Amino acid sequence: MPKDKLTVNFRFRERLNKMPGGKHHNYCYQCSACVAVCPAARFNENFNPRQILLKALLGAEDALIGENSPIWLCTNCYSCYERCPQDVRPIEVIIALKNMAVEKGTAPTNLAKLSENIAETGMSVTFSSAVKRRREELGLPELKPVPLEELQEIIKDDKKE
Amino acid sequence: MTKKNNMKVIPFWGCMMPLKYPQMELAIRKTLPNLGIELVDIEGFTCCPDPIYFKARDKVKWLTIAARNLAVAEEAGHDIITMCSGCISTLKEAQHTLAEDPDLKAEVNRRLKRINKEYRGEVSVKHAVVMIRDDLGLDRVRESIKRPLEGVTVAIHYGCHILKPSQIMHVDDADYPAILDDLVSALGATPLEHHEKLLCCGKGCMDDELPLDMTGAIFESIEKSGADCMGLICPTCFSSFDMGQILLSRKKGKTYNIPVIYIFQLLGLAQGMGPEEVGLHTHRIKADKVLEKIKGSVKVT
Ligand code: SF4
Ligand code: SF4
Repeated sequence: MPKDKLTVNFRFRERLNKMPGGKHHNYCYQCSACVAVCPAARFNENFNPRQILLKALLGAEDALIGENSPIWLCTNCYSCYERCPQDVRPIEVIIALKNMAVEKGTAPTNLAKLSENIAETGMSVTFSSAVKRRREELGLPELKPVPLEELQEIIKDDKKE
Repeated sequence: MTKKNNMKVIPFWGCMMPLKYPQMELAIRKTLPNLGIELVDIEGFTCCPDPIYFKARDKVKWLTIAARNLAVAEEAGHDIITMCSGCISTLKEAQHTLAEDPDLKAEVNRRLKRINKEYRGEVSVKHAVVMIRDDLGLDRVRESIKRPLEGVTVAIHYGCHILKPSQIMHVDDADYPAILDDLVSALGATPLEHHEKLLCCGKGCMDDELPLDMTGAIFESIEKSGADCMGLICPTCFSSFDMGQILLSRKKGKTYNIPVIYIFQLLGLAQGMGPEEVGLHTHRIKADKVLEKIKGSVKVT
């Protein structure tokens, strides 16, 4: 028996399994193919997709979705999805973890800023008056109205029973 | 494959092009009709939604909004083209995920029912460059050219989302892509290889340092290649590289001065349009070097 006992938090893994894309974490056999193609790992030694998967297999909740988790360094490049021989889709596991961090309230504060525009205006980018003028100057047609109410209706949370 | 003569498609503009880089929308609106593509603008779309931040926030809601956009196109009865790598990534992945996971599809449709919509999964979504390659053929591009970009060397930046994951995107080999190289060659320009051609621009990373290191590595590599300009397809990459060069010189003290040109702006130049007609004057890094080279170019028939 090794001196340090290895504890696995299966409850956390169960929760991860229920997130879209989360279940595939079970297939990881720790080969590091994803690390070899990961640009975030290349430019920042604190980031390593194989280690994130290992922590997921251990159910290391705090390390993964606590404050300052490395998951936010992922550049969303999909190279790991392309390369992984086990169909783990590491980026989708990372996104499932990000969703869990958002629920827990530990996501970086600027995430809310970067994503709230969609729920408030239907678009991710704010239409500045400078761009409005530029569109006119370039002779582009007027923008079609955005069906904001429909969008808000479909992302509304169900009323708690 | 038999090629089509004319096509009617619904453009899905997304947010970045119409609301941030309208010069890209301009280039598309001017160049595609010369290839026999008719753009049928329809009402009812929202943001795709963005595949980085909104997806990180809530993937189910992200899928729901994407499915709503697809359902709007299904009702309109034409296929969709997108010109933005982010939009194509979201819409294709949503289609793939909803086909793969019936439970998620049911949840998404339960939400869409609130507005009397349903996602059936019948509409085809393509990136404009894929439609040009597969449905029209590059000969159509060659025929539309009035001023070949002879002598112009282009460092192509593919960006990530148009290619990967290839089993969802169905665009090209993600390690040895050719689609943009072939298009640029059809314009008469010369694509140049360089080491960091496939490196991610880093924009999707929620860190200040890392993206600068990544764009820096890409520019070092392009500078060594001696290319006249960078040619790209993604508006988000564009912000990393055009404005990104200003940031690099401010924060890292390194100035490159490599013009960054959207592929459809290059097409417009080759079709004989002036730089202002494709909105090149709106870019931070000016493309004088490229324009100088094509000054006297005319098509020899
Ligand atoms: S995620 Fe895939 S590529 Fe990465 S270590 Fe696990 S099995 Fe290997
Ligand atoms: S998507 Fe994220 S984890 Fe995967 S290779 Fe890219 S940066 Fe690394």
